[in-house]
Amino acid sequence: MYAAASLTEVFQAIDPNAAFNFAGSDDLATQIKENAPADVYAAASPKYPEELFKAGLVEKPQVFATNRLVLIVPTSNPAGIESVADLGRKGVKLVIGAEGVPIGDYTRKVLENMGATNVLTNVVSQEDDVKGVVGKVALGEADAGFVYVTDVKPVAAKVRAIELPDSAQARVEYEIAVVKATDHRGAAQEFVDRVLGKDGRRALLKAGFGLP
Amino acid sequence: MKRPFDVFLAVAAGLMLAFLLLPLLALFLRVPPGTLLSQLGSDVARDALLVSLKTSAIAHAFILGIGTPAAYLLATRRFPGRDLLVTLTELPLVLPPAVAGIALLAAFGRAGLLGGTLETAGITIPFTQAAVVLAVIFVASPFYVRLGIAAFESVDQSFLEASRTLGASSRRTFLRVALPLAAGELSAGSALAFARGLGEFGATIMFAGSLQGRTQTLPLAIYAELDLNFDVALAVGAFLVLVSISVLLAVKFLPSWTRFTSTSLFAGAPSRSS
Repeated sequence: MYAAASLTEVFQAIDPNAAFNFAGSDDLATQIKENAPADVYAAASPKYPEELFKAGLVEKPQVFATNRLVLIVPTSNPAGIESVADLGRKGVKLVIGAEGVPIGDYTRKVLENMGATNVLTNVVSQEDDVKGVVGKVALGEADAGFVYVTDVKPVAAKVRAIELPDSAQARVEYEIAVVKATDHRGAAQEFVDRVLGKDGRRALLKAGFGLP
Repeated sequence: MKRPFDVFLAVAAGLMLAFLLLPLLALFLRVPPGTLLSQLGSDVARDALLVSLKTSAIAHAFILGIGTPAAYLLATRRFPGRDLLVTLTELPLVLPPAVAGIALLAAFGRAGLLGGTLETAGITIPFTQAAVVLAVIFVASPFYVRLGIAAFESVDQSFLEASRTLGASSRRTFLRVALPLAAGELSAGSALAFARGLGEFGATIMFAGSLQGRTQTLPLAIYAELDLNFDVALAVGAFLVLVSISVLLAVKFLPSWTRFTSTSLFAGAPSRSS
């Protein structure tokens, strides 16, 4: 199972026995293009699954979950960040996802929606997946970062989440598809069905995801 | 009886060589040389090259400036705990880079051991080029120190004693006798350390982050471009292979070349002073 880093906890809960490869959705797409032995591909955006579908590498992708972005700060909040507006202050260390990585593209979209793209000048690092952003904020090295709301729970003791207005949210949709080259089509389809089914939906809701 | 074994050895060596060279060859065959060259001129590759060169050069100045006397001390003086010290300086050689990354964060990070002290002094290291430099020094200096110790140890001790009995100070002995005699092997160590520093990835991405034009070095650019523009990643990769080959050639030929020149220079010295 090749799945976006933000699905780490919930997918392990849905099927503890499956073998997972969690990474940035874009990296996983590259690996599948290079014939990596994947059975299922679950991504944090429709962009890469649709691309792979057009290339004939995966079956028709299906939306199975939605997510929201939040701003996180270390519990100690060294820069005193209370809102997105505070991110533009001089010396603030902001960490975001790199361009081309779903969380990075969504972050830019949210900042655009809020008319706050000026805060990008305070970016000190562009991480290759969302866990890189979470880690650097949770360690207290960065002052703030944009992540999915579902990333907050595992590090709830170390970070504080600041909600973003609904009007600013990007449409974050997760898509899942069976990889055409799989040697385990039956098991792969079973896993997809389980994610789309009652158990999967319950686990996704519990982890803070939205349902399509 | 011997023949089958010889065949086995030859096959094993052939397999090994093919396995090591095939991926490198593939790197160059995948994209035509013209494309590789033009991708090296892209903004990302150029910025990464500048960041890498700058941070590697600064790190290397520290490695040579501090590593050389340190290696000389460890090679020529005997004191309690010396073996332990030598082993400790070798530790980063075998340490996984990711461990180096969190160790550097634990020491110099904002929440780290020295973080508070540094912060009151107005210094923050993570996410800066200073962080890249520290990461490079941390992982690369042991290569230089290790070879430096061996280089100074291989200098015939009677030359050093002769220099001292002829009245040269220990500083002069170091500068005029030990250093020229060890220069060849020191250069080899220096080249190895430089190559290792240039390739530094794990500690850098954890400790310095990745930002184009600031902390994104060549290896970090490969990682960042892997999904965005595979050709750029390949071009940077191919470039680093060429650098590695040059370093390897330097390591191979520098010692014998300078040994020849320095010993011949030195051979004239005693006759002049006697």
